[in-house]
Order: sequence, then C-alpha cells, then structure tokens
Amino acid sequence: MIRLACALGLVSLATVVRLAVRTDGSGAILFSFVGFPALISALAIYGAARWRSGALRWNEGTHLRHGKEQ
Amino acid sequence: MNPSGPLFAGQLGGHGFHWLHVLPVLAALPAAAILFWGLVRNRLLPAVGGAGACLSAAAFGFGSLLVFDDSKRVPFCGSCHVMAPLVASLRADDGSLASTHFARGLVPHDAACFTCHSGYGIWGNAQAKKAGLMHMVHTVTGDYHLPLELNAPFDIDSCLGCHLEAPRFRAVEAHQSPEIQQALASREMGCTGACHPAAHPPSALEGGGPPR
Repeated sequence: MIRLACALGLVSLATVVRLAVRTDGSGAILFSFVGFPALISALAIYGAARWRSGALRWNEGTHLRHGKEQ
Repeated sequence: MNPSGPLFAGQLGGHGFHWLHVLPVLAALPAAAILFWGLVRNRLLPAVGGAGACLSAAAFGFGSLLVFDDSKRVPFCGSCHVMAPLVASLRADDGSLASTHFARGLVPHDAACFTCHSGYGIWGNAQAKKAGLMHMVHTVTGDYHLPLELNAPFDIDSCLGCHLEAPRFRAVEAHQSPEIQQALASREMGCTGACHPAAHPPSALEGGGPPR
C-alpha cells in the first residue's frame, strides 16, 4: 500500500512540476483532473496504511497507563 | 517603428522573480525524493512519511495559487484550441469591441480576457474562477458547440465599471436617454449588438482565425 501511495503521489507531483514549468490550459487540466485526485488518493491510501499498522488510533493501553499515573 | 526595441520587448513585471513558479517546485522536489524512497523501499518512517505528505500538500497549495494567478493571462486563455482564434482576433484590430479595446490599450494587455469576462468586484472574480473550471470540464469532455456563445447574458457591470463615471460616456446623447438607461439598468439591453459592435468577430467564435 505504501508503494501504491508513493506512486500516486509521484504522479500528482509530476503534474505540479509540469504546471510550474509551463502554465497553460493543458497543464491546468492535468493539475486539476489528474493531480488532485491522485494526491487525494495517495493521502487516503497512506493514511489507511498507517491506520492498519496501528497509528492514528486511540490507544487504550496508553490511556490506562496515563490514568494509573494520575 | 522599431518593434525590437528594449521597451517593446520587455514584459510587465519582468524585473521581479517569479516566485509562484518556483515555490511549487521547491516543495515538490523534496516530496518527490521522499516518495521515490518509499516507492523503492516499500516503507517510510512515520515522520518521513508525514513530511512527504505535508510537502506534497504544500506543492499543491502553491500550484493552486499559481493557477489562480496565471489563469488571468491572455496566453493562458489562448492555450486551448477553441480559444486560440479569439485571442488571435484581439491583435487583428478587426473593429470588434474586444480588439478595439485591446488596440487602444483600454484593457490591460496581459489580462484582457479576464478584465472583461470576470464580472465586476470580488464576486466577479469568484464567478470567473468557477466558469474557468467549467471551461476545463467542457474542454476535457469535448462538450461545447461552435459557434461559441455566452451561457448567460454578459455582465455589463464589467463595461460600466470603467465607463460609467467617464465624462465622455455621460456626454453621449443615447446614454442620457431615460428609456435606454432603464433598459441597461434592468439588463434588458446590453452594450453590444444594438449600439456597439459585437465583442468578437463571428469567424473567431466559429473556431476559425481572424479575417485576413
């Protein structure tokens, strides 16, 4: 999943660089209709991969430990 | 006339650094390095992955600013096939209202399309950006028909924003007529067609070049 997220992120960044080098209608279309969806997908996939690996979740153990310390 | 003189060759703002073109690349390059590393290794340290995500988002933020700013420029409008004849007709000085304004310097040459088609005030700018997005959708889907037509009556506030307070405009007899003033104020009547020439030549709206 990380690999897919990185590939989509690279595609999206390629549209940004294309736009910065030459700002025209086709660059804006690529940026808006290819780059943005690719970036959103990459961030969503990366977030899902991190969530599956245990991040971005309420950690019950940490909560209990903090409670005990108090 | 020497068209190759340094004054004629120069562009407005040519003395400044084009930061909006550089900032997206400055953010995109380190982001791309991180993502390439993740692509090869199939894993990213959380902090590095977070930095890659933030830098990518920043690159897109700067890219969006670049699109917002540069899409006002005439070459941007003319870069799509269907608009190229309209932009070419601006320089043809063919008697159309747009080319008359362009030739006399009555609109900024670098943002002539945006000046007239954006409407008046900040909401005019917002409407122009929304319309531009729809233009891109129509271009991608091929969902447009020739001759090109406005999808709504032209906002004459764009005209009046410059002309209304001008003594020359107020001195014109037709502009003083109560009937015409009422028709213009209620938007039943536009500036072009009845009194003033069409904004663009029909050949350009048909997708052809300016008449030679």
